[in-house]
Amino acid sequence: MNEDQGTAGVGKTMKLTLYVAGQTPKSVAAIRNLERIVAEHLEGLYEVEVIDLREHPQLAREHNIVAIPTLVRSLPVPVQKIIGDLSDEEKVLVHLQVDN
Amino acid sequence: MPESEAELRRRLEEAESTLRAIREGEVDALVVRGAEQDEVFALGGQDSYRAFMEAMEIGAAALDGQGKLIYANAALCMLFGRSAKDLQKDGFFGALGESAGFTVRQLLQDAAQSRSSTQIALPCVGGYRHVEVGVAPLALGFGQGHALTFTDVTERIEAAAAHESDRIGRAIMASSNEAVLVCNQEGRITHANTGVRNFFNGSAVGRLFDEAFTLGFALSSGLMAGGDLIGVALAGSAVRGVEATLTTVGRTRDVLLSAAPLRQSGDTIFGCIVTIADVTERRATEKRQALLMDELTHRVKNTLTLVMAIAHRTIAASKDMGEFRTAFGRRLEALAATHSLLASDVWNGLTLEELIAVELAPFVTVGSERVKLTGVDVRVVPDAAVALGLIFHELVTNAVKYGALSGENGRIAISAAQQDDRIEIVWREHGGPPVMQPEKMGFGQTLISRGLGQHGEQATKVEFHPEGLVCRMYIAATQTAAA
Repeated sequence: MNEDQGTAGVGKTMKLTLYVAGQTPKSVAAIRNLERIVAEHLEGLYEVEVIDLREHPQLAREHNIVAIPTLVRSLPVPVQKIIGDLSDEEKVLVHLQVDN
Repeated sequence: MPESEAELRRRLEEAESTLRAIREGEVDALVVRGAEQDEVFALGGQDSYRAFMEAMEIGAAALDGQGKLIYANAALCMLFGRSAKDLQKDGFFGALGESAGFTVRQLLQDAAQSRSSTQIALPCVGGYRHVEVGVAPLALGFGQGHALTFTDVTERIEAAAAHESDRIGRAIMASSNEAVLVCNQEGRITHANTGVRNFFNGSAVGRLFDEAFTLGFALSSGLMAGGDLIGVALAGSAVRGVEATLTTVGRTRDVLLSAAPLRQSGDTIFGCIVTIADVTERRATEKRQALLMDELTHRVKNTLTLVMAIAHRTIAASKDMGEFRTAFGRRLEALAATHSLLASDVWNGLTLEELIAVELAPFVTVGSERVKLTGVDVRVVPDAAVALGLIFHELVTNAVKYGALSGENGRIAISAAQQDDRIEIVWREHGGPPVMQPEKMGFGQTLISRGLGQHGEQATKVEFHPEGLVCRMYIAATQTAAA
């Protein structure tokens, strides 16, 4: 597990969890893409956790993960899920409801 | 219940989007709910890097920043002889062992900036292997790690070592004076240096050792044939200095054989090396020396017997101790003089001239008018020389006391001539005081008469003519040799 944290402010922090499976190409790509997106669009407003389900398969149940990679926005509610390697930046931003 | 309906819709939507993502290849792993715990399955494909890694012949592994094994491909697992799970459970560095583990940790440190590689001895199934380890930094989803490759270069190193050994071996063989040859596991000759040509006409390479060389072994060696020697060496024992006879066309030689196994790395014996040294001449010299030793022992015994006889007879003929001392001493001196002469000529015998000269020397010069020698340039065998030496001593002693050498005018003529298969040696004195037949026969005369013993062809005759003593001695022609 790997956590990145921006300058979190109570109430406005976006909590993201990226579920990956070791180093499958799409897992690696998803990690890279998410790093880029948060750096470019979510400066200081996020808390990211990467969960490797190969090492911790039991953690899949919390967000009912079926496909990998999956990015879950657990805060703010409602929970949003984005399945895939996050290469479609527009789609990711729309799902995360980030006003560009 | 609108909320529950909304929840259902949301879950339906989520399920649909998951299916769509799977269908469209946006995911490459799935979580499958198991009875006890969930499991993650990668969706492999032709383009999957994992499939590529698994297909690679070289071992590959990925370590995270803490050195923990994330991935090991099939080739690496095979190299270690352990499953990826085992490697993960026991720790990658545990499998590497202390020495290789230390080297790899060093490499990981060095690889922080760039690729680095080195060779290590890796504990593997069936022993250590020479492995080239390459380390490169690897960006992982959760930080920095390292990509490691393991290339088994054992065969390459062994081939290079074998090539080098082969080169050195050939140089050694070429420079050896002895015959050196190499046989393979079948006992067939694969290499032979030029020395081998002394024992085998033509090229011995390609032939079975047993067939190429006809060897005879002493029973004590425990070997029956050349093949046995090769067999012992191929079984791992070195054999040194085995005596044998080697028969080549029309010739048998004494040889010394040595054989030793040739080992590859580890304990594998792939052949043996055999050396053959010709010791025929050395053996002949040894035989000659043994013969000389026997001869020496025989002569010493004879001499002692002779000394005993001289002592007994000299005592019997002596009036007092003083006379005994003088007579006995002189006789021993004569014996010693003859022996010295014999020894100086390496026991090959002496000429009559030499014998006569040594006995006459204290009293008269050989070559002077008083001594005339004819046909005495005859070499006699050692035993006959000793006997003749004693007789000449007695004749000289007698001549000095009573005969030709007792005055100033006496002369002696000594001649030797062949008569059929014997040599007649005549000692003739004249010009000395008138000679009379002695009343009794002293030891001197006995020695003269019987001294030649078995060497005499005919009894020695002593004639007391008034004008001078004449002594005729006979020795068989077989007791002489051309001077």
